[in-house]
Amino acid sequence: MEASALSHPVLRARRNLTDRLGDPLLRGLSGLAAAVALAAIAGIVYEVVHLAGPAISEFGLGFVTNNDWNPVSKRFGAAPFLYGTAVTSLIAIVLATPLSIAISIYLTELAPRRIRRPVATLVDMLAAIPTVILGLWGILVLGPFMRDTIEPALNSVLGFLPIFGGDPSAFGYLTAALILTIMATPIITSVTREVFETVPGDLKEASYALGATRWEMVRQVVLPYSRSGIVGATILGLGRAIGEAIAVAQVIGGASLINASLFHTGGTMAAQIASQFQNSAGLQKASLAYLGLILLIFAVVVNVIARVIVQRGKLRDIDVTPTEAEAL
Amino acid sequence: MSKRPLGALLAALALVFAVAACGSSGSDSSTGSGGGANSPLVGAGSTLVAPLMSKWQSDFASKSEITVTYGAIGSGGGIDQITSRTVDFGASDAPLTPEQFEEANAEGEVEQIPWALSGTVPAYNVQGAPEDLKLSGEVLAGIYLGKITSWDDPAIAKLNPGASLPGTKITPVYRSDGSGDTYAFTNYLSTVDPEFKSQVGTSTQVKFPTGVGAEKNDGVSAAIGQTDGAIGYVGLAYALQNELSMPLVENSAGNFPEPGVKSVEAAADAVDKIGPNNEISLADLPASADGAYPISTYTYVIVPLETEKAEELKKFITYAIGPAGQGYGPDLDFAPLPKQVVAADKKAIGKIGNG
Repeated sequence: MEASALSHPVLRARRNLTDRLGDPLLRGLSGLAAAVALAAIAGIVYEVVHLAGPAISEFGLGFVTNNDWNPVSKRFGAAPFLYGTAVTSLIAIVLATPLSIAISIYLTELAPRRIRRPVATLVDMLAAIPTVILGLWGILVLGPFMRDTIEPALNSVLGFLPIFGGDPSAFGYLTAALILTIMATPIITSVTREVFETVPGDLKEASYALGATRWEMVRQVVLPYSRSGIVGATILGLGRAIGEAIAVAQVIGGASLINASLFHTGGTMAAQIASQFQNSAGLQKASLAYLGLILLIFAVVVNVIARVIVQRGKLRDIDVTPTEAEAL
Repeated sequence: MSKRPLGALLAALALVFAVAACGSSGSDSSTGSGGGANSPLVGAGSTLVAPLMSKWQSDFASKSEITVTYGAIGSGGGIDQITSRTVDFGASDAPLTPEQFEEANAEGEVEQIPWALSGTVPAYNVQGAPEDLKLSGEVLAGIYLGKITSWDDPAIAKLNPGASLPGTKITPVYRSDGSGDTYAFTNYLSTVDPEFKSQVGTSTQVKFPTGVGAEKNDGVSAAIGQTDGAIGYVGLAYALQNELSMPLVENSAGNFPEPGVKSVEAAADAVDKIGPNNEISLADLPASADGAYPISTYTYVIVPLETEKAEELKKFITYAIGPAGQGYGPDLDFAPLPKQVVAADKKAIGKIGNG
């Protein structure tokens, strides 16, 4: 808009040299920045595919289902790590989502106004803890606590299920999943909180006016109104859990096996890449890059799904809001 | 919204500077590698040798005016970088495998030279077990194969007559990242136990059928410390400097030598056999080596024979294996190289530049 206003010749002539240079320069530089970002993505994809080349031609798609990862016999397969990534991130999301929704409801609807901001800031700061520190805490505190308290309790109640069978261990899928829960919670919370804040006040007041209790209002107005936002937030949290490497590598116990018990050691794709890439060569390096490629595809799919859901929800909300308001 | 163009502008400027900086440093290094007197050396690899290397770097720079830059990125990384010739020398705790040699030789022959000597030691945390618990290679192999699962196993009791052993479950801890310690440990276990050799094998990264993987020496030692009944393996220097409790391991003479520079040196002295490509395994010690520590290991430098920096590399490696370089060893828990290895190294150094 500014540009069209300035296109009048008299106005343009009045501008001094720096002003005249400023706009094209800004456009050029910011365009360059955008191009660099695109080039970086293209470069990363190219490099990962290129690095993975030998493993792709050696193992093909069978890589995904092969259950062996053995640097000595040079047989590599992704199955143990696909399993580990799926199990740990799903547990993390199942635990983190209700927790985050509860925190957000408290912060937007129930908490005294004075403490909302400090508590929200503290929850956000949870995301700022360096993951390596969280991993150390996992080794020194959470792991032993899981082994000595949580896992024996789970085992005594639900021990007939294979996933809660076997000896408790400080290192394993469950400890890793809890670390991921701690990482995903602030992300999901901050998105759901913002979504909850956008619920129109009239809707809430209308609900109260009809005699709804606070819980009924939350259930009938806030949650339905925010459904797509919650789903989007959950998937963002899932993306975080799938991609986390360092802290998981510290607590999952780095085994290249599928263990039925959640107490036992395993591996995830990201953790495997983080712990082995630097010291690998040849086919192993290519196989790790192949794992990276699968992880990249995972991450892109998860992000696209989240965007589509959030976008569709936004459109739907605009269409639906008046009807919902009428319904109330 | 109004902030955005400014942010983009700043980001763009930052990027332009970053790119320019990369570009100029890139051209610097390419002009610097043109040979000539005293051009700097760049190396990468083993983390085990890194403390020794940092002593060598400063001392060698003051004596020869050649600076050595070293990246402790791990043995596998060192092999990778020397294979692609992005460094002047690579350092690895494991000797190159035949395939690795083939790959590295694709750009002209490389030479592997043992230049430091150390050991890998088991460490354990078992409440109620005696200090200086005695173990043998077969028992260690049994533990890591998942065949020996409790500390009062008859095989352990037999080595510790009279000692009271708790029935605690054994948790073997291993390195989940690639490591020279894993190489030394699995090389030893594969030598003493054929079943371990066929089931697990020898490498810087192997697939253990049981146990807990942890990252780096620190991770292994934390996992041991947090788990009653755990046993793991770490570098000799790390174990001594952190005063971990170490079980004693039986050597081929039937003795249980204290792990340390002295017993590692004794192991190196007992082995005269230098394999093809200067590969030396200290896992199979003669029965005459009374005080030899059974899990001792060499760490190697890998250099191309054809290189513009032949003179500098010769000087540096000669220094490292000489009395000045090896003199820093004992303080850092490295044993000095024995005479026969120094002699073989000198011959190998002579080949550099005559590829």
